[in-house]
Formats: sequence, structure tokens, C-alpha cells
Amino acid sequence: MITRFLTDVRVKFNPFSPRAKPARLFLSLIPPNARADGMKVETKMLPRTSTEPATLDVKFKDGKELKLELDKMRIPEVMEEVDRHSRMLARKEELTGN
Amino acid sequence: MPPRIRLRPHALRLRIAAPSSSPLCATYASLATATTPAPSIDPTRAAAPILRYPPTQPPSHKPPEVRKTQLHRTYQSVLKSSPLILLFQHNNVKAVEWMSIRRELATALRKLDAERAKNGHEDLIGDQIKFQVITTNIFASALRVVEFFKPEENTMDRVQHSTDPRTATSAQIPQTSNSPEDEAFKHGLSKRAWEVASNRKLKSELEPLLSGPLAILTFPDVSPQYLKAVLSIVAPSPPNFPAPKRKANPSYFEPEVQSGLQKLMLLGARVEGKVFDTEGTRWVGGIDGGIDGLRAQLVHMLQGVGGALTGALEGASKSLYFTVEGRRMDMEEKAKDDKPAE
Repeated sequence: MITRFLTDVRVKFNPFSPRAKPARLFLSLIPPNARADGMKVETKMLPRTSTEPATLDVKFKDGKELKLELDKMRIPEVMEEVDRHSRMLARKEELTGN
Repeated sequence: MPPRIRLRPHALRLRIAAPSSSPLCATYASLATATTPAPSIDPTRAAAPILRYPPTQPPSHKPPEVRKTQLHRTYQSVLKSSPLILLFQHNNVKAVEWMSIRRELATALRKLDAERAKNGHEDLIGDQIKFQVITTNIFASALRVVEFFKPEENTMDRVQHSTDPRTATSAQIPQTSNSPEDEAFKHGLSKRAWEVASNRKLKSELEPLLSGPLAILTFPDVSPQYLKAVLSIVAPSPPNFPAPKRKANPSYFEPEVQSGLQKLMLLGARVEGKVFDTEGTRWVGGIDGGIDGLRAQLVHMLQGVGGALTGALEGASKSLYFTVEGRRMDMEEKAKDDKPAE
């Protein structure tokens, strides 16, 4: 997953729900230095009884915001959604030569 | 002297060359094959039973020399021996960060140990609290064995008595064979344990938590005081579990520790077989004074109940007494009134 264009990641999930798996795996895909390099990661743990769906809010460097409901997705789909915009930003960066 | 029965190499070769019609029924991969005991010299006594495997290594269903099997066994023993386990998800925590987190944990626990020793407490478990990364799937399987495989009787239950005159030995040896399929085995790596644990209809409460990279923090005893100390280091939350102050503990604020802690997420806890979420874990940690505090609370409550109960029981008899007494006074007054009239 391309994570260098992410500035802000907010994840909310109930760890006791089996549908929280993509949310947790998404967090484990963030590289070890990301937080030190300025990415903000916020996780909110819902109580065990809550039935709220797991959500992921991502902000990119160009200001685009992406909101995903993770309870019906699988982790490859989540990665695909996030990478779609990241690839565009990567191409733009490559063309401007920075 | 030549052998009495002459070896006929010719016949031997023939037998090897011809493919045997019967399939091989038993093959032993290991060198230590089961040998039948030699018949005893004294024909009136039965042969002494012999143990066909080392007593600490009963035959295992999965190959015992594999790391997975040994991990499975280790996790079973961890699950059985630690009543309080905290589950964490670790998201790409580096080795340096693990090291510094473990160091902070150890110093905090040592401090708590010293404090408890000063107050005259006996049970100091600070050095037995361990933080380890686990292999999630093997841990899940071990958890299923621990939760669902409950053998009713021990392997040593059907052993002959040590003074049994029928055998030549007084050693107590379980009557089990050398194959892991034997129904008599009760250890966690036996075939029966595997069968019970692989029944997918049984659902463990902790199952949804067991995915992704996990680490466990194990306590040898349910001690809210130690849990509080650990939580305030690993998962601080300001009002009840404050992180140590920067002045008191500057090494806690090193970048390695802080960046490592950001990547650790407390998912839940398993306390004496029951599963708690984050809030529940904090609640367990927030029990004041640990088990002694709880006992004091209980005694206080029971005393209150006792007082109320005696009050309630007394109430009925008191009211009865008052009515009867009132009636008596009434009657006496009446009698007094009657007397002067005579």
C-alpha cells in the first residue's frame, strides 16, 4: 500500500466484532516510521456491545478526504480504494519532477 | 559350527523381488520402536507394565520436533498458568521500541514490588509478568484446546495399585500405548485434544480478537494493583491510569518508548476464563486495594446487611410487643377506672 501521501488516518472499530478485521489490518499496514514522519493516526476503540460499523477516514496530502465503511469490505479492497488516489498523486509528483 | 537352519539366499532374494500382496500395516519412523516385554521368569506373575515413551513426552498427534507443535504446547501452558492475560495488537513495532517498552515495564514493576515488600506483602509477582509477541493462529488453536478439551479423568487414574500382588513392580505406570491415537491420553497435544479443538461449532469468546499481529501480557495472578501499574505504562488513560510524570521517570518519555506505545493497541483481556473489553480491563485494574480491598468491601456490605436484617426481624416482634404492652396499659387503666366505681 502506498502510504507516503497520507497525512491523517482515523480508524474507529469494535475489536470484538468479526468485521473489524480490515480496520485492524489497515493499521498494521502503516509503516513503522509513518508516525514520526508526520502522519497522524487516531484509533478509537468502541465498547464491546456497540454495533456501530467500523469506519476509516483518510486525508491525503492534497487535501482530499476519503471516508470508508469497512464492515463490508475486505482488506485488498480497502487498499485498492486508498491506492487509487495515491497513485494519481504519485504520478503527478513524478511529472513535476519533485 | 554352521547354523542349524541353513540360510538360503536364493529363497530370500525371491521373496524380496516378488511384490508383497498385503499392504504394509505398521511402519515406525522413529528408532525407538515399541518392544514387547520379555515374558517374566515367574509364570504365576504377570509381566510388569512398561512405559513405552519418556514420562514427560507422551506421544503427540502432530510431529513433536516441529516448532509449531512446541509453540502450541507453550501457549497452552501459558493460557493455563496465567489467569490474567492482556491482548494487544502491535502495528510494526520495531525491536528497539519493544526493548524500551519492556525496560519501562520492568522498572515500573520493580518499583511496585519494592513498595509492596515494604508494606509487608508476600506475593511479589513483578518479575513474572511477561510481554511477548505471539503467533496468532497457533495461539487461537491452543486457546481452543484449553477452553474446550476438558478430560474428565487423569491418565494416572487407571493405574494398577502400587501394592498389587499380581505385578512384579510397584512403579505406577499409565496403561497407555505408544500411539497418539490412544483414547487414554489427556495431554493437550494428543489426538483427542486435536479432535475436540477442531470442532468449528464450538465458539470461543475471544475468537474475533485473534487476528492480525498480536502480543500478550501475562500475569501469574489476578492482581489489580499490578494490572494498574502495567496499564499506566502500556496503555495510559489520564484520570485513573496516568502515565508517569516526566520528572519522576524521564526515560519513559524517550522517543523510542513513546513511538512504540503509539503503535500498541489494547484490545481486551482474558481474566480467569472470562473476556473483557478495554473498559472492562480498566475496571478490573481500578479495583482499589486488590483482593484485600474487595474483601474489606464485602465485609462492610455484609455488616450493613446484618444490621438491616436484625432491624427488620426485630421490627415485627417490637411492634407486637408495643401493641401488647399498649393493650395491657389500656386494660390496666380500664381496671383502675372500674375499681373506684365500685
